Amino acid sequence: MIKLGPTSEEMRAMSEDDVFSSRLKLLIIMAKAYLRNCPLGNYRKKAIIENANHVFYHSLHLVSESSVLKDNSLEIPADIVSREKTSEEHLFHQRVQLLAVMAKALAEDRLRGNFRKKALTDNLNMICETLIFKFQIRDVNFLKVA
Amino acid sequence: MNPVNIPNVKIAVIDNDLLVRDFIVTVLMYCVNRDVLSFDNGLAAWKYIEANESPDMIISEIDVPGLNGFELMAKFKEKSPDKKCLLMSENPANEQLARNSGADAFLAKPVSVNDLFRVVQTFVVKD
Repeated sequence: MIKLGPTSEEMRAMSEDDVFSSRLKLLIIMAKAYLRNCPLGNYRKKAIIENANHVFYHSLHLVSESSVLKDNSLEIPADIVSREKTSEEHLFHQRVQLLAVMAKALAEDRLRGNFRKKALTDNLNMICETLIFKFQIRDVNFLKVA
Repeated sequence: MNPVNIPNVKIAVIDNDLLVRDFIVTVLMYCVNRDVLSFDNGLAAWKYIEANESPDMIISEIDVPGLNGFELMAKFKEKSPDKKCLLMSENPANEQLARNSGADAFLAKPVSVNDLFRVVQTFVVKD
């Protein structure tokens, strides 16, 4: 028997955030595979559209939940503040939503032309750069302790 | 993408958590470019398997209503000993139980995209 996944100490139930980040990673892989001319079959297209919809609405939900609370002068939960407190992070979510729209377009054969592919590549690069940056910051948390 | 080892591979996913189940189905559907069966309980999955040709692989959460993952695997392996059964759980204690009961793989939760790609690489696609 092979074992896949985290170690015993790290095992836990999957949260909505786990699913969102995994789906975003999958969407990036799907877009990169398209740019590298990997073949698209009907079910693969269906999977791209379903995944793009999930990512788009979850990202939209995160952004709108934060804005509604702000507009009504209500206290924003700590986890939302941490995600949405900077305009950079707001922009990140806009890029994620754009990626979802682009992914749907490519699955529906509407992403034609070199400039659209370049826009997809640029958007992917910006998202990946942000994700890597966040990862690195989290990775060097020990630097906060002297 | 590598060529598919099992032509028209048929996979079933069983989990009562809709978010997780849909995520796993999306990843697998994308990887194999085939429809993927989806059930929210072990009994519904078994009724389907009993009445139809067995899937090539089932991926079941252990803690599901109806038949749990172990019970479903026992029935599935009895009907189709050559087919693959992968069990998933968030509970570390289930790993040894899965090993003892003859599961082909144990997927510890939270499941990642890479884990599911490895499942396809290991059980569906040629190296």
